[in-house]
Amino acid sequence: MSIVGGISLNTPVYRLVEEFRTDPSKIFNYLDMIYKNIDRVESKVKAFITIVPQETLYSYVEALLKEQKERISSMRLLGVPIAVKDNISTKGIRTTCASRMLESYIPPYNATVIERIIREGGLIIGKTNMDEFAMGSTTETSAFFPTRNPWDLSRVPGGSSGGSAAALVAGEAPLALGSDTGGSIRNPAAFCGIYGLKPTYGLVSRYGLIAYASSMDQIGPMARNTIDLALMLSVIAGHDPHDSTSLPAPPKDYVMALKELDSKEPKLKIGIIKELFEVAEEEVRKVALKAVDMLCSYHECTTISLPYRTEVVAAYYIIAMAEASSNLARFDGVRYGLKVSFENRGWRDVYTEVRTKGFGYEVKKRIALGTYVLSVGYRDMYYIRALKFRRILKETFDSIFKNVDAVISPTMPILPPRLGEFAKDPIKMYMADINTVIANLIGAPAISIPVGFYNNLPIAVQLMSKPLTEDILLYLSLQLERRTGLKDLIAEVP
Amino acid sequence: MFTLYKVMISMLHDNIIEYLERLALLKFSDEEREKLRKEVEKIIELFNALLKVEGLDNVEPLYHVIELELPLRDDEPLHHLDMEHEMLKDNAILENGYVKAPKTVG
Amino acid sequence: MTAKELKVIIGLEVHVQLTSLKTKLFCPTPANYRESPPNTHVCPVCLGLPGVLPVVNRKAVEYAIAVAKALNCEISDKLIFVRKHYFYPDLPKNYQISQYIGPGFTSIAKNGYVTIYVQGKKKIVRIRRINIEEDPGRIIYIGSIETSPYSLIDYNRSGVALLEIVTEPDMENPKEARAFVEKLIAILEYLGVTNPELEGAFRVDANISFEGYGRVEIKNIGSVKDVERALTYEIVRQRRIIEQGGKIERETRHWDPEKGITVPLRVKEVEEDYRYFPDPDLPPLRMSREFIEKIIKSMPELPDERIERFMKQYNLDEYRATVLVLIKWLADFFEETAKMYNDYKKLADLLITDFLRWVHEYNLSPSAIKATPTHIAKLLSLWDKGILTSKMVKELLPRIVLEGLDIEKYVETTGYVRITDRSYLHKIVEEVMNENPKAVKDALSNPKAINYIVGLVMKKTNGKADPQIVKNIIEEMLNKLREGS
Repeated sequence: MSIVGGISLNTPVYRLVEEFRTDPSKIFNYLDMIYKNIDRVESKVKAFITIVPQETLYSYVEALLKEQKERISSMRLLGVPIAVKDNISTKGIRTTCASRMLESYIPPYNATVIERIIREGGLIIGKTNMDEFAMGSTTETSAFFPTRNPWDLSRVPGGSSGGSAAALVAGEAPLALGSDTGGSIRNPAAFCGIYGLKPTYGLVSRYGLIAYASSMDQIGPMARNTIDLALMLSVIAGHDPHDSTSLPAPPKDYVMALKELDSKEPKLKIGIIKELFEVAEEEVRKVALKAVDMLCSYHECTTISLPYRTEVVAAYYIIAMAEASSNLARFDGVRYGLKVSFENRGWRDVYTEVRTKGFGYEVKKRIALGTYVLSVGYRDMYYIRALKFRRILKETFDSIFKNVDAVISPTMPILPPRLGEFAKDPIKMYMADINTVIANLIGAPAISIPVGFYNNLPIAVQLMSKPLTEDILLYLSLQLERRTGLKDLIAEVP
Repeated sequence: MFTLYKVMISMLHDNIIEYLERLALLKFSDEEREKLRKEVEKIIELFNALLKVEGLDNVEPLYHVIELELPLRDDEPLHHLDMEHEMLKDNAILENGYVKAPKTVG
Repeated sequence: MTAKELKVIIGLEVHVQLTSLKTKLFCPTPANYRESPPNTHVCPVCLGLPGVLPVVNRKAVEYAIAVAKALNCEISDKLIFVRKHYFYPDLPKNYQISQYIGPGFTSIAKNGYVTIYVQGKKKIVRIRRINIEEDPGRIIYIGSIETSPYSLIDYNRSGVALLEIVTEPDMENPKEARAFVEKLIAILEYLGVTNPELEGAFRVDANISFEGYGRVEIKNIGSVKDVERALTYEIVRQRRIIEQGGKIERETRHWDPEKGITVPLRVKEVEEDYRYFPDPDLPPLRMSREFIEKIIKSMPELPDERIERFMKQYNLDEYRATVLVLIKWLADFFEETAKMYNDYKKLADLLITDFLRWVHEYNLSPSAIKATPTHIAKLLSLWDKGILTSKMVKELLPRIVLEGLDIEKYVETTGYVRITDRSYLHKIVEEVMNENPKAVKDALSNPKAINYIVGLVMKKTNGKADPQIVKNIIEEMLNKLREGS
């Protein structure tokens, strides 16, 4: 790996920013390095749907350095190229949700998180591949192409934020944004050996995030180490008046909070969710339990039991599909999106054609099922019942979090599957979300931390804590990171 | 109660799929429909795991996970008029400033 | 039982735009779209672009609470918005953010009532519920709906705050329905939440049925007058069908104000299933008693209160007070004039009859009326002093309304005054009596017939003669005739 001016492809973001602040010209050197690597690996990994051309980013940086001269020394993401999941609106940059429906959609506005990144000097280097409208766990439902896992190109990178995770671990960007409705940040983070955080519901503004299931969607950071994760979270978290579900929390510096906790090293109580280890594949369980041992050698651990499993997955999919059927109603090809001829045709006919051509099978299936669980006669049986169960589940965890500071489980119960493996059995795919969907159903923060490998395939644990205790998750993550040494990993793409 | 639900699920064949296609304004190809029928049966079976959970009847549905009061906004205009159609020009078909759409009849 | 004896049942659904708001319901985009080019009052939120989120306008909620209170409703302690799903080209998100009553959600207000006054009878119309919701965009056609090869959409109206006010089926004839809408509009105007003069500011859908027969919904009624017209038309249409032994289909019809008829809307292809659920983008708001009380405290005087005050303060009967008060500007005009002129009944009569007639005749908006309260007060004083006759008052009124004629100056410069000169009038009376010997003969035997002669004299003087003096002269002359015979 080449090192130019003390900077290499796997230099952590917090170091990069220091270097760039002292010598902004290093930004160009770094961009050269990044684009060179993209040229080398992207055709194999296919992490991006849209890549911003190097010249465009160059002139953007030149203008930034000139026009905001006084501010650059305080910019927290100065010159850092960031890979953004393609369901986050970027003004002037096409935002597709990996769907034919939005193949040529150019948002006229920025998502709040994008505004915040720009204000901190961050650079949008490209829009990453994902499962269509974030519906999937493998990035295979993308209407354009699947993304490959950089550790093993025959395997999926996870999903739905698979492009963001793959871009990080392939060295195509040092920092990324994903979105997480039922595990879509944590799942690909686990499969790609990087760090991913699903924040507390309401901590990060959803304004500009193309909605899948509004009551569970959250944008979150993805990074190659814990401090970078905290840094990105600090930039994007905080109240947004454009989002009525945005928590009125004041801005917080999670890097500072993390360092403070790390220096005090408090002993915490950690609950080990027994059943979620039991359902995991043998190899995953073994590696994950090692991480548990690492934490328990310092913290106080207890075993806890989760009385529900299939029910959790059922409730999650009912709610997600119901909300999706509503959120995706707006795609009719009139104001934006796939166009077909309007002349002398009734709207029903046109809308049906647009939606039939524009949506892939998985999306259509979820819209149909979501419509089903909301329709007269089934609403009470499925949708309302799922929401009642959601309350029971939340109350269950409310009481768990009275006794422990965090709970631990494998992030994914399985190793990254091969391409095509899940498509054969959707139920198997849905059930693999069991560990991650809980955090979305109850609104709690959860983090995925790489803890080991099996046959060169990454394995991760998930820690979940009560709302607005992201700093605890980051603290435990940093501890594990030190013990495992698994940070700033870049896979060797053949 | 549970057997009644089973009966309802068995109704989930072409009729329901067609009904949902009409309601959601989309169509499945013959091939997709074949796949869908198999999958949907399994998915509904998964959903039915919830029907076995006891003691839910008197529980309030949880619509919002975070206890938050709806914030209200002052009635002050913050946007300028979009005289140049910045919001629509890249993605809609405009005709004399109107957005072109299909017929409302026929 | 014949169709004539069957009871008619009418319920209304009124959509009112809160036109006094500066911005739309869920985004800070200017709401005063009426004079603007299409698609200029738009932003990502009201266009329903992917990724946008709604943020509620506080003032819209305050207005809704004030309206709920004015309509005597129970106000919910929670504000909850739901999504109502249906596809249509004017609806950007293909769902409308509205309100509904269901498991864990409710309308902002329900169970109210409004008192109306029809042909001397007081009646209560119950309010079922009030919802806050967003207005869809507007569809334009090239030519007619049928022939237009495609439609054109203007989203300027999209997202404007609406109240949907639904009554119980308590009205029994078109007059009552009209009186309800008039009263409702007056209440909204008094609250200052809407300007009913603005095009499309309120739209009425009416449900009408004959007892025991199918219910028909009439959509697209846009004015108070058309509420009565559309319902009257529909009653005639339905009655004819019933009398011919036919069945009334449950259907939705469209009111065509130009042709003055209702036409059936095409039958819906898909069963209606709105799939309501609380909008996950809008958490509920607990509306505390203080929050609601604060809004109620700042409410202005409402029509019912004003009617009562008019009856007490100006000693008017309920009818006169109601007519005045329901036309807010007229009631304001009355009160201003009443500061200068104290025969309130006479003033009220002039305003609710001739004055209002000329305003309608000239199709004047309140601000275009040139007559001021001072004009009217002066006119009435001149009448009281006998300088003008009632006929002269009636004659001059249109010029005052239209031109703001200064009546005192006019009388001074033109000599347009009542003729009180006895010797002149004596001459005229003599002429009239000579020309009408039969009338004189009648009057000699029947004192009431004197009025006929008075009328002839008034006619000859173009209404300027003082009728009391004329009457005295005639009586004197008749007496002389009696003595002479």
